[in-house]
Amino acid sequence: MATSVGSKFLDLDNGPDSTLLHRELNWLIQDSLGEGEPATLSCAASASSSGSTSSKKVVKLRTCLDDLYRLWKERIEDRRPFQYLVGCEHWRDLVLSVEEGVLIPRPETELIVDFVEDVLAENYGDGLKEGLWADLGTGSGALAIAIGRILGCNGRVIATDLSPVAVAVTEYNVKRYCLQDKVKVKQGSWFEPLEESEVELGGIVSNPPYIPSDNIAGLQAEVSKHEPILALDGGANGMKDLLHLCNGAASMLRPGGFFAFETNGEQQSQFLAGYMESELGGRLVDIKIESDLAGIPRFVKGFKAR
Amino acid sequence: MLSFLLRRSSSFEQKPQFCFSLLASLAQVQSQSQSHHFSSSIQNRSCFTPGYSCLGKRSDGFCLSLIPSSKISPGVSCSDVDSVKCVRFCSSQSQADVDIVEPSTSDGLTVEGIIAQNWTVLGEDESDWRSHASAIAQSIHLTKRRLKWKQLLFKVKSLSEELDKQDLWDDPVRAGKISREHGFLTGKMNEVKAFEQELFEHIDMIKLSREENDAEMESEALKALLEMRRNMKEKELEALLSGEHDSCSCFIEVQAGAGGTESMDWASMVVQMYKKWAQRKGYEVTIVDEMPGEVAGIKRATIRVEGEYAFGYAKAEDGAHRLVRCSPFDSANRRHTSFSAVAVIPILGEGFSRFQIKESDLRIDRFRAGGPGGQHANTTESAVRITHIPTGITATCQNERSQHSNKASAMAVLQSRLDKLELARQAQLNAQHTQSLSENSFGNQIRSYILHPYRMVKDHRTNYEVSDADSVLEGDIDDFILSYLSASLDKDEDGL
Ligand SMILES: C[S@@+](CC[C@H](N)C(=O)[O-])C[C@H]1O[C@@H](n2cnc3c(N)ncnc32)[C@H](O)[C@@H]1O
Repeated sequence: MATSVGSKFLDLDNGPDSTLLHRELNWLIQDSLGEGEPATLSCAASASSSGSTSSKKVVKLRTCLDDLYRLWKERIEDRRPFQYLVGCEHWRDLVLSVEEGVLIPRPETELIVDFVEDVLAENYGDGLKEGLWADLGTGSGALAIAIGRILGCNGRVIATDLSPVAVAVTEYNVKRYCLQDKVKVKQGSWFEPLEESEVELGGIVSNPPYIPSDNIAGLQAEVSKHEPILALDGGANGMKDLLHLCNGAASMLRPGGFFAFETNGEQQSQFLAGYMESELGGRLVDIKIESDLAGIPRFVKGFKAR
Repeated sequence: MLSFLLRRSSSFEQKPQFCFSLLASLAQVQSQSQSHHFSSSIQNRSCFTPGYSCLGKRSDGFCLSLIPSSKISPGVSCSDVDSVKCVRFCSSQSQADVDIVEPSTSDGLTVEGIIAQNWTVLGEDESDWRSHASAIAQSIHLTKRRLKWKQLLFKVKSLSEELDKQDLWDDPVRAGKISREHGFLTGKMNEVKAFEQELFEHIDMIKLSREENDAEMESEALKALLEMRRNMKEKELEALLSGEHDSCSCFIEVQAGAGGTESMDWASMVVQMYKKWAQRKGYEVTIVDEMPGEVAGIKRATIRVEGEYAFGYAKAEDGAHRLVRCSPFDSANRRHTSFSAVAVIPILGEGFSRFQIKESDLRIDRFRAGGPGGQHANTTESAVRITHIPTGITATCQNERSQHSNKASAMAVLQSRLDKLELARQAQLNAQHTQSLSENSFGNQIRSYILHPYRMVKDHRTNYEVSDADSVLEGDIDDFILSYLSASLDKDEDGL
């Protein structure tokens, strides 16, 4: 089934090719093996009809084969994302629960945590490590949890999201990593859920919806058919939420506080950086555009002036 | 394994802590078995001492030499300063041993002496002390040769001199390295010496019991000799793996030669062979990087093999492997010859000088990235390629499930490749090592696997061959490895 796809999806909408699907199938089988079974059923996915003899062996599965088959059919025929099939996504060193209604965290976004790590290493004296951080539009809680794990013992994170599903999934993930004391999850729009006492933020990170509305329909089927539109649609030019966040950062960060936002690419990054430099009266400084590992200028980061 | 059906609604909650504690307990088991490994020889030795401590003569000095060797056995953790103290203590002891006398029985019989007697070695169940003694002496002789005894003694001596220098600790990193190496080598040396000593104690014992007509004592000593004989066989094998990096884990890289699908299929068979071999040996195997072929097989792959002595064994596989068979990918089913190149790279542990990588020398990129990325794309592909710009060496990892882990894995591969390069560079400076590092190219053909017209696997370095090609491809390669290791270590007589 996976092999027959060939490069059809890839040519159609930049979807997965058969190599990738084979790897996913392998992971699906790995994940469904009972505890204690060796996770190396490599023969399952290898397309080779090699001369080496294949040994047969009985293994315990957590789900019955019919279910597995049904799941895999959904993957190929409905283009249901692999991560929704298995209910989780491996992201950085975390395994996060995900489900329909919440965005599957992207590999690009992992880099935001690297930026925060660098800042904490350099600015230890500024107390950012022990400060209050916000992850706005937290989705599955990826950024909030990763940052919660690298802050000092007094450091706290507030994670907000407008979507009740996202809030519930984040709460579940926070609990799985035993971070209830560190990461607070609140439902509401961007900064709104923050209380009076929580306005002096040491850091803000966000990966808000940034895809221009017109582009949504042409997205890869896995995304357009299955992921929540609330997590993707950034208005006419995709900048609606980014600009809102950027204004918010200028007023909500404490002096020396750090911010990092993910954008749609070069155009948005440059626009945003230009906006921060010219329109915010010098309140945000040290503004830098960073590329993701595919070389696309993806992030804008900087500090609140002292 | 952790992740299946990890939904909020799923009935069983899996806390990530489970996997941490599991890891922790695994790590514990491993370290236990490791220390067990190192201390077993000491237990073996100490079990006979109480009975013989009255034997007089040299038993005094003998006991002394046992104590320090157990103190510095690598399984025992002590702070660097401590280890230097005890190393110093025993270094003076061992040096005395080296310089003064060769151990012998009370009437002057040495290991060489026993071998020169040419006593016939009979089966283990023949209770003839001469046969046992002769077998043991030969084992000790072989073990010494494998350890490159003369070089070993020389090395221990020069390291002890280093350790005695006043300014040693001005450079704590180097000092730590020297003291560790000294401890490691002294341990090996003392172990063999203790065996020699033990052999002579038993022989003296037998002679004494005969003089005194004490049958019980004699049979006890005979039993002890037999036990020792069996033990020494193991030690012989262990001595095959006494290279500096032998105890490390390793990466095995396999690359398909020219010849299209047939050769890519061969490369994947080779990878399978190593995976199965490693699993048999209880090693943990992970695929780090795999580049599948268009039709079947793989263009290249890197697997990580984790466990004690993984490198020591696997290094014997470095070189080109040749397959001859009727290709299932050839519509006319003609006979084809294809090659796979195998490179084995040690994963150096703490304490070895590692290649220092400068962050600014690296270029890290998404491998096979395309399209606008970010929120546009849902993909499980997060392969990362790291390039070390000054050397042009790259490493890719695509089999981990997150970009972060792919990057960490690729970084580990890159580090090991650069370490190997550095080792090769140092080895060139230090000519005696060049032999053991064979170059990894298709030119260096080490083994042929012939499936047609007859079935045979033959190693060109040792001429060792078997006809059961299937079981070899199923990972039964230990005999090839051992015969190669012994051939390469046993050939130069001058080490003794
Ligand atoms: C692109 S997703 C990012 C999710 C997560 N931070 C990540 O990187 O995986 C954007 C998130 O913003 C949330 N969102 C959209 N509009 C919002 C609003 N007005 N206030 C708060 N969150 C909002 C969506 O529900 C979605 O979870």
